[in-house]
Amino acid sequence: MTTSSPATFSSATLAPGGSAGSAVGAPVAARAIGLRKVFGRTVAVEGIDLEVPSGAVLGMLGPNGSGKTTLIRMLLGLTRPTAGAAELLGHPVPEQAAWALPQVGALVEGPGFHPFLSGRENLCRVAAAEPLLASSEIANAVGAVLKRVGLADAADRRYRGYSLGMKQRLGLAAALIVPRRLVVLDEPTNGLDPAGTRDVRRIIGELHEGGATVIVSSHLLAEVEATCTHVAVLQAGTLVATGDLPSLLEAGTSGMVVVTPDVELTIRTMREAGATAYRSESTEPAVVVKDGPPAPEAISLLVRAGVSVHEARRSRANLEELFARLTEETG
Amino acid sequence: MVKRTGNAGRNVAAGLAVACVVGLGLLAVPSGAGAAPELPPISAEDLLASVAKAKPEAFNGTVGLENALGLPALPNLPQAGNGDSTARIWSDGAGRGRVQLPSPQGERTLVSDGTTFWAWDSSTRTVTKHSESGHPGAKPDVNATDPTGAATEAINRLRSTSQIRVDGTAEVAGRPAYELVLAPAAQERTLLREVRIAIDSEKRVPLRLTVLSNGSNDPALQLGFTDLSFGPQDEKLFTFTPPPGTKVEEGEKHDQGQRPQRPEGVEPTIVGDGWDTVLVAKRPEGAPADKDQPDKNQPDKDRPGGVDLNALGTPVSGAWGSGRLITTAVASVIVTDDGRIAMGAVPEQVLTEALAK
Amino acid sequence: MTAMTESTRAAALARTTVPTAAPRHAPMGRLLAAEARWVLRRPRTLVMLGVFALVPVLIAIGVAVADDTPGPGSGLIGAIAGNGFVLPIVSMTMALGLLLPLAVAMAAADAIAGETAHGTLRGLLVAPVGRLRLVGMKAFGVLLVATLATTAIAVMGLLAGFAVIGGADGQLITLSGTTLGLGEALARVALVVVWTVGQLAAVGAVALAISAYTEHPLVVLASVLGGLIVFGVLSAIPALDWLQPYLLTSGWTAGVDALRDPTPYGGMIESSLRALCYLGLGAGVTVHRMLRRDA
Repeated sequence: MTTSSPATFSSATLAPGGSAGSAVGAPVAARAIGLRKVFGRTVAVEGIDLEVPSGAVLGMLGPNGSGKTTLIRMLLGLTRPTAGAAELLGHPVPEQAAWALPQVGALVEGPGFHPFLSGRENLCRVAAAEPLLASSEIANAVGAVLKRVGLADAADRRYRGYSLGMKQRLGLAAALIVPRRLVVLDEPTNGLDPAGTRDVRRIIGELHEGGATVIVSSHLLAEVEATCTHVAVLQAGTLVATGDLPSLLEAGTSGMVVVTPDVELTIRTMREAGATAYRSESTEPAVVVKDGPPAPEAISLLVRAGVSVHEARRSRANLEELFARLTEETG
Repeated sequence: MVKRTGNAGRNVAAGLAVACVVGLGLLAVPSGAGAAPELPPISAEDLLASVAKAKPEAFNGTVGLENALGLPALPNLPQAGNGDSTARIWSDGAGRGRVQLPSPQGERTLVSDGTTFWAWDSSTRTVTKHSESGHPGAKPDVNATDPTGAATEAINRLRSTSQIRVDGTAEVAGRPAYELVLAPAAQERTLLREVRIAIDSEKRVPLRLTVLSNGSNDPALQLGFTDLSFGPQDEKLFTFTPPPGTKVEEGEKHDQGQRPQRPEGVEPTIVGDGWDTVLVAKRPEGAPADKDQPDKNQPDKDRPGGVDLNALGTPVSGAWGSGRLITTAVASVIVTDDGRIAMGAVPEQVLTEALAK
Repeated sequence: MTAMTESTRAAALARTTVPTAAPRHAPMGRLLAAEARWVLRRPRTLVMLGVFALVPVLIAIGVAVADDTPGPGSGLIGAIAGNGFVLPIVSMTMALGLLLPLAVAMAAADAIAGETAHGTLRGLLVAPVGRLRLVGMKAFGVLLVATLATTAIAVMGLLAGFAVIGGADGQLITLSGTTLGLGEALARVALVVVWTVGQLAAVGAVALAISAYTEHPLVVLASVLGGLIVFGVLSAIPALDWLQPYLLTSGWTAGVDALRDPTPYGGMIESSLRALCYLGLGAGVTVHRMLRRDA
């Protein structure tokens, strides 16, 4: 069982989360210990160890089919792990899920509602099942959350006629219908227009301000980079990197980017010099060089090899590059 | 432990499912198949004498008929065909009674209120009314003669052709009973193996009649109580008020309930005695040569003779002539082309001998 | 591997203490009310109830038309003529053969398989609605449909019986030829309603069990329909007579016994006991599955 992350990247345990929110209850909002899930012969998730500190906004990154949703479902107690254990707000799941889930809001695998009911009726049905909501508050809570996600005008239309974005907003509303300590959002921006995406970002920001822990899974890297304090990267069912965002980006900056048309030659030359070199994911032809000789020496090597160096800069690693590299190495 | 509750709950649920499957099996086990009860031994004579002495009592019960005689179902008498049927019976022990014959689609009700005999048929929604004056109760008045003597006499008469014995005990409708067995004597040429009568050990009334034929372990006919309780019955049961809006017909002179009237002028002759008695009669209607359908307009479908016998049986012939042979589990019938009918609980050969006489 | 799993699990459990207080739940009454609202807002439920209300009306019209032609009708339908109280009971008995079980199967199909297909089941589970309570809530919804459908037939049967056929002076003429007054007649109709709902509860429990194992509502519907057909065929084969006591459907004519007088309760009691067995079987399998089902 290989549980370790790739050697190039330290899977340092996550530091306690941001300034806000650490006062709330358990220091760890969600935890996975050696989680493994097998569907028939397919291993969906393998040996995942993860801790989500209270108050953090964790971006869960990974291509489609990398196991994000399966991991989330196991954390919520919707699926039993084949092996390993999960914990939610200090309670083992699924055994004690009933104690944790009232304080957890979730949007998993897209919004699920009944087409013959209006958005409001659908939410009322969800609200009726919420343990922490008094019966007398249901109508108010539903009205308020509809406003919060920007669906007040469409609340009394049938769900059948909703656009993809409106459905997504309603799903978000169901997750936020009562104040939560933990909100889990699986691909919340799917189908949303830019304004919708901004709204989701705003809501995540509000939740973070309010001290809640948020787990957002997304394949949109910019999304995660803009809103998250922590990141977990999944690839083919295993966790390839976790950590808080600044230190992850820091760890990824020990190299330089060489902008050049002679990509192949550059890679060859740098690898001969003992460096790790690979093509940049950016649109311009460029090569990322890591662990090589110091920059001046490297550049002179390249020039001597006949590479036309248009530009050489210290790599300003963004999440996109980090992600590309991680998934390329393991994939 | 909280962890265990999930598994415990699943185990309980699985247990419930299994228990219910078992329960379904138990429901399916026929009741009344209990062990034979222990009863003090009794001789056939004493048993029959006590039956003759028994006073009729008020009771209600359900009688089940398991018919495997192999007869064709007759239009107005579905009970004749193979299959099970039930009847619900109430009696006040003093001549009044009520019988209900339920069928899936309806019911026939027969009520004898002491002066009038009512017959209701839900399929036609008609009531037939017969006066019972001059018609004695269904039971012959056995008390008039000395019961012990009558029993002895009956047994003596039967002994010439039968073996009579008490053969163990049985439980019928939850009541312990003696099994009285009548078996044909060795010289009797019959299709029947034996007739068993279960007699209530306490009330000394017959509870079940079983007819067993040669070559089969399953009864050809079993008529018995499936449910029986003694005690006073609701008076209302022994009255009948025709429901509003139904037509009430005055019946002809009441004759033994459902039994069809015998056609006039056709007196059967009896050949032989005992178990191999053969009844030879003239075919009631139609010329002997009439091998076609009997006249369909004849409104006597419920007479055995009214059934198209030509369609039944297999052709046979011999010195006596030719005809068709109909065999069932317990009886054989030959309908000759010259219009005679011979029937009995006997093999074919006995019938043809009787016809040849 | 499993040993390791157990040890990590045990370690995880050891870190957290078992909560002393019971977990909080939404009030069961509120859940049931929400389920009832959901069932009754579903268009197909309403269409179905409308169809059931039509069943006795159609039979009544058929009888009224046939009544004009001379000659006595035969069988149960014949017993309806001029005898309005028979209509609800005969209608329920006829609908129990196919229509009512299908309606219940449809409700059960939507209850679990349908919710899974819509992605709404996991919404309920993360709320959280406890899994046992979820089964209770769903069973309630199915039972509600069964009760409403049966009652719709009974009530419309009574109305149509009086309007189209006419009661025999507010009396019921039983199959046995006796005459019952209004109160007794209504009690007989109520008895058949209760008995029919009991039989349907058995069908519903089995359908829910199937529903718990699939996410395609049509599978449930097809299974119940197939089951009814298979049971019908099995009970028609004389060599398989011994199977009869095991088949739920074999007691379904017992409702007609309410039209006999005195009522023979044996058939209804036996079929109710059998229904209870099927009910327990279905409930057990449903709970067993739903306590573990992935959503």
